[in-house]
Amino acid sequence: MPELELSVNGETRLVDLPVGTSLAALLRESLGLTGTKIACNEGHCGACTVQIDGVPTLSCITLAHRVRGEVTTIEGLRDHPLIDAFVRADAVQCGFCTPGQVVSAAALVAANPDPGVDEIRHRMAGNICRCGTYPRIEEAILHWRG
Amino acid sequence: MELLRPSSIAELDGAGETVFLAGGTEVVPLLRDGILSADRLVDVSDVVPRGVQGNVIGAGTTLAELEVDRRIPDALREACRLAASPQLRNMGTIAGNLLQSTRCWYWRLKYPCRLHGGDTCHAREGEHREHAIFENDYCASAHPSDVAAALLALGARIRTTRRELSVAELYRLPDDANRALVTLEPGEAILELELPPVDTSVYLKAMDRKRWSFPQVGVAAARSDGETRVALAGVAPIPWLLDGFESATPLERTAWKLDVAKALVARATAAL
Amino acid sequence: MARLIRTEKEVEGRFEDVWLVVEEDPLTQWPEGPLAVVGRDARRQDGPQRVRGEARYTADVQLPGMLHTALLRSPYAHARVARIDFTKALGLPGVRGALGPGDAKGLEAEAGFAGAAVAAVAAATFAQARSAIEAVEIEWEELEAVLDPNDAVARGLLTAPSAAYERGDFERALADADVVVEGTYRTSVVLHNAMETHQAVCEWIGDALHVFVSTQYIWGVRAQLAEAFGIPGDKVRVVCEYMGGGFGAKNGADDYTLVAAELARQTGRPVRCALTRREENTAAGNRNGTVQRLTAGARSDGTIVAFGGEFVNAVGWSGWSAMTDGPMQMLYACDNVRTVRHGAKINTPPMKAFRAPGFVEGTFGLECIVDELAAKLELDPLELRRLNYTHSNDGTPYSSKNLMQCYDLAQKHWDRRHQVRARSTDIWKYGVGMASQIWYGGGGPPSYAWTRVGSDGCVTVVTAMQDIGTGTRTTMAQIAAEELGVPLDRVEVVLGDSARGPYATLSAGSSTTPSVGPAVRAAAADAKRQILEIAAQRHDLEQRVLDIRDGSVVSEDGNLSQPLESLLGLLESAQILGQGARGPNPTGMSVLTFGIHVVEAAVDVETGEVRVERVAAVHDVGRIVNPLGARSQVEGGIIQGIGHTLSEQRLLDPASGRVLTTTLDAYRMPTIADVPEIVCEFVDIPDEHLTNLGSKGIGEPPIVPIAAAIANAIRDATGADVHELPITREEMLRALRAARRKETRGAPAAV
Repeated sequence: MPELELSVNGETRLVDLPVGTSLAALLRESLGLTGTKIACNEGHCGACTVQIDGVPTLSCITLAHRVRGEVTTIEGLRDHPLIDAFVRADAVQCGFCTPGQVVSAAALVAANPDPGVDEIRHRMAGNICRCGTYPRIEEAILHWRG
Repeated sequence: MELLRPSSIAELDGAGETVFLAGGTEVVPLLRDGILSADRLVDVSDVVPRGVQGNVIGAGTTLAELEVDRRIPDALREACRLAASPQLRNMGTIAGNLLQSTRCWYWRLKYPCRLHGGDTCHAREGEHREHAIFENDYCASAHPSDVAAALLALGARIRTTRRELSVAELYRLPDDANRALVTLEPGEAILELELPPVDTSVYLKAMDRKRWSFPQVGVAAARSDGETRVALAGVAPIPWLLDGFESATPLERTAWKLDVAKALVARATAAL
Repeated sequence: MARLIRTEKEVEGRFEDVWLVVEEDPLTQWPEGPLAVVGRDARRQDGPQRVRGEARYTADVQLPGMLHTALLRSPYAHARVARIDFTKALGLPGVRGALGPGDAKGLEAEAGFAGAAVAAVAAATFAQARSAIEAVEIEWEELEAVLDPNDAVARGLLTAPSAAYERGDFERALADADVVVEGTYRTSVVLHNAMETHQAVCEWIGDALHVFVSTQYIWGVRAQLAEAFGIPGDKVRVVCEYMGGGFGAKNGADDYTLVAAELARQTGRPVRCALTRREENTAAGNRNGTVQRLTAGARSDGTIVAFGGEFVNAVGWSGWSAMTDGPMQMLYACDNVRTVRHGAKINTPPMKAFRAPGFVEGTFGLECIVDELAAKLELDPLELRRLNYTHSNDGTPYSSKNLMQCYDLAQKHWDRRHQVRARSTDIWKYGVGMASQIWYGGGGPPSYAWTRVGSDGCVTVVTAMQDIGTGTRTTMAQIAAEELGVPLDRVEVVLGDSARGPYATLSAGSSTTPSVGPAVRAAAADAKRQILEIAAQRHDLEQRVLDIRDGSVVSEDGNLSQPLESLLGLLESAQILGQGARGPNPTGMSVLTFGIHVVEAAVDVETGEVRVERVAAVHDVGRIVNPLGARSQVEGGIIQGIGHTLSEQRLLDPASGRVLTTTLDAYRMPTIADVPEIVCEFVDIPDEHLTNLGSKGIGEPPIVPIAAAIANAIRDATGADVHELPITREEMLRALRAARRKETRGAPAAV
């Protein structure tokens, strides 16, 4: 099996996996980074969102062997002010989609620290929340700095 | 399965039983579902141009890059902006978007339909409320590319590893002899798209959610030198260059799309 | 004292007579309004874990040597397994075990719908298990499939005998009515789609079964597994500390848990059985479709004199016929009501409870026809509802009902309709609609809780309930903190483990807060009593002059203020233990929740696009423990309901009965871009008859009225009567065409 080297949350990791393995499976099963959730496993819901070089990417349909950039998962964002913003705003119910929401939101506020409602709705529309925490997510992002 | 990452265009030719992928947003799920199969995956990211130069768009440019690029005509920028989800736009390339397959549930669920080589269109007799209103006799699937409709209206040209062709020439309707919807040959890859200048252009899209929805009906309109071209997404098995609605053959449950298309075409042309 | 009672128990609108052991509930309710902790916004105590991705869900459980399961599902809507051979499958790499029809509960030879599981394989990886399923040799005997619910009813294919209800004399009242409206309303099948799919990990440790499962009812899973394997309940430990959503579909063990447990027994390894998203949307339950043929008659003064309804629930192969007729029987004072409800047993995937099952569907039909009646009577829809207000539930008094206050609070939102309509253009038509809400949500006994107060003055509440994402963990902490007089951050709640806490009821039917909350308060009160007894002895004071406030024991005269940790330091590692039970519901009373939604919507009359712009929701669910969490429930219910109303629809292939919308690009739930402005208000008045808390549940009520309120706003905007959910562009354009025809016919002849 081809050995694979990638950088996750600033650490270089080496894994042996067959070609075809998704980045999400690698993170969860090989590296134990289970903060990244798999909810549809076909790129439709956003629960598996990670950043690759800062860009929100669906890890469930990303082939692990193609990844070259720096991978940032929710585990790499645990000190981000968005975490507290989400808790303050009650932007979490069951929480299964929430890590993916935070990863998308972190990229959004990195690109534009003061996004408006329209931009939030445009950039966050790929993260489905079945509990319907969207109004709180919007509030959390609007007031992410505290 | 093997993954190749060629570093020159020359390496793309004669690759045999291979599947190209760039963004992978379509290819990876289709491989997993067994709709596509390949011993060899060829990652074309390193050899396909990416970015915008003048009126030429590299095939590897992502929709996310295009949606914020002020140099891009409005119709294409809006088509990119309203396509898919943010993450899919971050990953998906413009060429990949042109080559995406239908969302027809029968096709996606591997019913042995005509596009899969079978002898029936399950949608015609079955559940077809999201399907085609033009050329739907053989296969009622609807082409989901917003971008293709925009490029068709804009009169874009495509340069592949082997030739140049118009966007219209990229697509074909399926028949018994050939079920393919695109005219690319095995091993042929799209490299660039060239946009002729237009005076003004617009893209309107009917969706059932405000975002992250394939087009129920997408309408692109462009005007140059007093000539208006209108192209539609989601209304035929291939992106549809509109030449009036007389040729429409709506099915029982797709008749509503005709109303939507007519209203959006009127709005789009009025907006030019 | 424990008391044995025979009582009617309600869960999700289903009633059964049961024997219950209940304990008295001697505590008097707290006064109305925000208290020190209860009634004030509280952040979720487990929020940081969930947001940071640290919370361990069933999906995250990885045990050494764990196997993965794939299920073999029927491609036919109705078929029997004629022959099955695992020889080839068992020889494949990684495969460790297989089950066929009859080898585990849940796997049956007769498949009643396309997607029914009949066999299972466990292998080292999920991919290997899947490959093995492909290699199972199976022969099917196809059986006749019935897919049409009306056909099933006509042929007597029912899940249960049809339910008939009558009060007064419907026929005569209808004949005497000045105005009569009739209509057929349809609702479509919608899918729960909790983000965490149905799944379980089972492991046998000696003769005990250890289960991690994504469930709304750990005790229900425990009971089902104990029965299936013939072992005592306490040999089954069920754990669900974090749970990725359920919405009613995860109330039982189901085939996946039973299969995992059996494969774990067979292989001696831990076994995971997790549904894929596509399986989730095929076989894990749904809100069934309905056909509702309704009649309403009124006198010209607006008194509704007759309601009639024939309700067909397209239940599917399993599930139950939910109370679609409930709102028609219960919402208004109408003297003459006749309903009949059929549950069609058809060869489609199973119905499961889905957030106010039956009432969501029935309220759509009822509240639409009431508005059509208002239009015909030329009466204000809100006034019509006030006019037909009922003060009893078919003769039974309510434990509390503040719907009139809801109407009054909603008046200001309703009054916006003139200015909203004025925004209309040639293309976009604006309107305002409303609908009332009635539903259960009172919970019931039994449920139990323990509290433990340590020498450090910190409190742990232990109760084996589950927090399915609604924030009930925090609610319980607030209740305990209030009763014990300690700051909220001193209270921790341990839940979700049947081996580590007393029985608590299922998290369904909006029942967690009203069922478990009073038990937690009782347990906290028990601990508090003991603490004050100790303080009284320690300080030689009478117990009645002592109280606990803000973490300190204080005396009435203000001379004593001793922090709990100082008083309880003498315990060292020992603890004060309190226990509490949920008391009985009030006898002879109906415990119900109420509310109203006012929706502002716009319709593009050319393309059929519907935009919901603003929703004002006013709910009466008794005392609100955590306003922040309650608002989240209301918003979530509204958003889910908007999905049901506008974009979500499960479609079947009419020929094969197979689900076509298995993926989330085809089954379209709302995104953040689809959310309207939501205004949320509560009539925050404790139900004086209901428990020591006076709280009802808020999980389900907000999804009940939203569809009808949207449809009524559409009528207000366009004059079009939408009669079918979802209101797709196709349905909207149809309704607009019908309205235009009606207008043309009704117009005076041209002069």
